[in-house]
Amino acid sequence: MEYGHKRVSPLSLALRALNVVLLSLCAFIALYPFWYEISASFSSSRAITAGEVSLWPVEFNTVAYERLLQDGQLFRAMGNTALVTLVGTLFNMAMTVLAAYPLSRKRLLGRGPLLLFITFSMIFVSGLIPNFILIKSLGLMDSYWALWLPGLISTYNMFVMKSFMEGLPEEIEESAAIDGAGNWRILVQIMLPLCKPILAALSLFYAVGWWNAYFNVMLYITSSDLQTLMLKLYQMITSVDPSLLNGGGGSEAASTVVLTPEAIKAASVVVAIAPILCVYPFLQRYFVKGVLIGSVKG
Amino acid sequence: MSGTKSELAAFATDRDEVIVRRQSRWKRVAQDRSLYVMLLPVIAFYLLFKYAPMGGEIIAFKNYRFVDGILGSDWVGLKHFRLLFQSPDFWRVLRNTLLLNVYSLVLGFPAPILLALMLNEVRKELFKRVIQNLLYIPHFISWAVLGGILIAVLSPSTGVVNFVLERVFGLEPIYFMASSAWWPAAYTVSSIWREAGWGTILYLAAMAAVDPQLYEAAKIDGAGKLRQIWHITLPGIRSTIAILLILRMGSMMDVGLEQTLSLQNSSVLDVADVISTYVYRIGLQNMNYSYSTALGLFQSLIGLILVVGVNRVIRLIGERGLW
Repeated sequence: MEYGHKRVSPLSLALRALNVVLLSLCAFIALYPFWYEISASFSSSRAITAGEVSLWPVEFNTVAYERLLQDGQLFRAMGNTALVTLVGTLFNMAMTVLAAYPLSRKRLLGRGPLLLFITFSMIFVSGLIPNFILIKSLGLMDSYWALWLPGLISTYNMFVMKSFMEGLPEEIEESAAIDGAGNWRILVQIMLPLCKPILAALSLFYAVGWWNAYFNVMLYITSSDLQTLMLKLYQMITSVDPSLLNGGGGSEAASTVVLTPEAIKAASVVVAIAPILCVYPFLQRYFVKGVLIGSVKG
Repeated sequence: MSGTKSELAAFATDRDEVIVRRQSRWKRVAQDRSLYVMLLPVIAFYLLFKYAPMGGEIIAFKNYRFVDGILGSDWVGLKHFRLLFQSPDFWRVLRNTLLLNVYSLVLGFPAPILLALMLNEVRKELFKRVIQNLLYIPHFISWAVLGGILIAVLSPSTGVVNFVLERVFGLEPIYFMASSAWWPAAYTVSSIWREAGWGTILYLAAMAAVDPQLYEAAKIDGAGKLRQIWHITLPGIRSTIAILLILRMGSMMDVGLEQTLSLQNSSVLDVADVISTYVYRIGLQNMNYSYSTALGLFQSLIGLILVVGVNRVIRLIGERGLW
């Protein structure tokens, strides 16, 4: 039985080593751009523009962060993003549970038509303009309700939670029902505690979605007090220095545009991704679990 | 006679059963009243924010003006669709949408499979886990950020990529984001950057389910690593590959709006303008509501056909469909 393990040919050893090197290289390439931004944020704008920054900060300083703090706009936008994310995720979870629990009960009368009603909205996706007109007609422009309400439920996430609930043993619920517990009590006291892993995973997916979105903010939020972090960043990068795109710097067109210095841009990027990078190591296993639970249903 | 009688009897019991069933039906509904109460806000949400905009699609057949409202605007039949199909812009954005999807499919679809195969061969569990978790990170970063970083890194004057190309290979700087030839490549790379690592999760799970005895048997038969991958691992994840490939085909008409917007700039619109960005620009910035809704409706309908077709194919190959 054991003789397969004894000899390892030099070829397969070399392959193994090559594999490790290639994977490390992939991880390096995937993460280097973030590292570059961190280094750049602590470098002088001169060094960045001269292309001197590659791995470590050049002419180390924290001016960019001080400027961001003094200006305060970016941090205000971050506070707005935090509010949008927190409230949005709470609404999402409440609504997702309210949809998933009844629909996961096979005895529910009219379950088939209801599922069809919901599934159809997932496969026929209405366009941008009708949605915009709806939000405008409802008078929701320039308020966070324009973001929260249309995004209350992600149908896909709801189906993931539904299939998780369907997978829980029915006996627990039945015995509770015999003891006279109503559906609300069964949901709150029995189902939700059993659903903890999927609740964690889905709230993380929702929260990341809220944190990262910028297009809906661009559509519906007009006052600058309500701007969110990612929209600020988007505006920063699209007002990009033409010389960055086209090479040959110092053209007349470039000098008329008020540009965000490169170091400030880099520092803003770092501020925007820092919260995600900080919580990621602690939460990553929930993300993976969420994907795997979702794939069971396909 | 007796036959009729028994038929009558059967009828009677049938009817009784129906009545009983109907009563128990209503009893069930009454008992589960609270479940329907829970569903009320859910149904309201779907009606208002999913179905009402579907109704709003009718402005594709009208001359919509905000002051007239959806119902008050004049019908114009298929005018906007005729204009659309005659417009060179339509064919341009349709071509770009499909092309970017094809690039992402051809290069982006195999990427996570390859990565998963490599990860699966790693012996050291800790190394594997660390690399996996590092590769997932870009998936959680906003396109607003990724776009900004990519523009910085690929810049011809200050970007690291061009720096390396110039110093190491002696090449002239390449205008990745501003040249129509290079932009689709940058776009495709950005998709792979964000999603390839994350995409390995399902493949790795499928690989973990492969029976280890198969590898033992192959080893005894003298099969090397590559042959084991070819004859055991790949067949083991075949159905996962098939399903994900088919699902991917269902979204051939979609191009990530936030991704494209954050990478786009005015000098590459000939290759970078896709249906969704065009609808946004023409519809909301130029206020051509009806015309752009016609394009959006066209996209939704093709998307619907693709997804229904995809579901049929998945069922044909004996897997559980999407519905």
